[in-house]
Amino acid sequence: MENPLHPFELHQFVQLSLFGVDISLNKAVLMMWVVVGLAATLLVLGGASRRLVPTKLQSLAELLVEFIRGIIVDTMGQDGLRFFPLVATLFVFILFSNLLGLIPGSYTVTSQIAVTGVFALMVYGLSIVLGFLLHGVKFFGILIPPGTPGWLLPLMMPIELISQLARPISLAVRLFANMTAGHVILGVLFGLAITGGALIGWLPFAFTIAMNALEVGIAFIQAYIFTVLTCVYLGDAMHLHGHEAHAH
Amino acid sequence: MPQFETHFFSSLIFWEVVSFGILLWVLWKFAFPPILETLETRERKIRESLEQADRHRAEAERKMQEYELKLSAAAKEAETVLAQAKERAQRLLEENEQRLQAEADRIKGDAHREIEHERRKAVQDIRNQATDLALLVAEKVVGRSLNDADHRRLADEALQAVAENYRKA
Repeated sequence: MENPLHPFELHQFVQLSLFGVDISLNKAVLMMWVVVGLAATLLVLGGASRRLVPTKLQSLAELLVEFIRGIIVDTMGQDGLRFFPLVATLFVFILFSNLLGLIPGSYTVTSQIAVTGVFALMVYGLSIVLGFLLHGVKFFGILIPPGTPGWLLPLMMPIELISQLARPISLAVRLFANMTAGHVILGVLFGLAITGGALIGWLPFAFTIAMNALEVGIAFIQAYIFTVLTCVYLGDAMHLHGHEAHAH
Repeated sequence: MPQFETHFFSSLIFWEVVSFGILLWVLWKFAFPPILETLETRERKIRESLEQADRHRAEAERKMQEYELKLSAAAKEAETVLAQAKERAQRLLEENEQRLQAEADRIKGDAHREIEHERRKAVQDIRNQATDLALLVAEKVVGRSLNDADHRRLADEALQAVAENYRKA
């Protein structure tokens, strides 16, 4: 039976390097280009029609924009909308990566821990920078939950620090693990279908179909979760402990 | 796991940042503004349409009330006109009746008078003729002609006496 982790292996197509850093092309890089090309084409075309009664593609683009706007306003409030382009692009990139990765023979960009890790660090780093820009030193107050008695501080601050540091890690690992696990299960089931032959192999094959449908759902859900958590972290940085969150 | 082979990290990270940056720039510049603008335009359009619909409905209701008012006024007026007409007809009828009655009474009175007159005349005629006849008979009987005026007076007196006798009887 084939190694179910085999689909995640990368091989250099073209060797490239920039200032001594290896930036060789491989399948994952090609998939990133496909993701960018497809997402940009669909959304630019969807936005270009500007009809009052929308075309199908326009509806899709508007649905996406409304969806992301809803998430942002719900978690960050109206002033969170200045992060709309970043959050929406993040969602689109992850969603398209997840979905395109489900096409047999393609590659799931988001099943690479390096890729999800960069996104997670980017989001978390932005939230930290934003927090210190908006609140200065007071942003350290994020380590003190509101209403904590003074004598509990030595206990609470390390716990909060750990929970803060866990944020980027959990963000990165959640997406990576979900994408990897889904594809591993699909690989295992399909391997079983091949080795099982005509007599019994149809059973795991039927499961691969069902799993594929489930994976489409997971692709959406994981993109959604990543986006919502991005908004939550940025929102936390904007409104320390939610003091201002409901003022708007 | 192949994902932890660190020698691919540099190219993955480089190309991820580049492609994400490109996508962000393209969407920010060319996709999101028209979509957001279209959404806003539609929102405004819908709001305006709703407001306009509200205005039109209010106006329609106002007109409706106006018409109902007019209609009820017209109905009232029609009622008044009808009542007046009825009253007038009734009055005319009564007047006519009275007039006809009076006319009939007058005709009846005339007829009575005429009849009375004729009767009297007839009685007078009969009396005259009877007198003549009596004179003629008396002339034949007496054999001599009396003065006409005397005769007449005598005959009248005789007839008067007869009539008085007759009345008493």
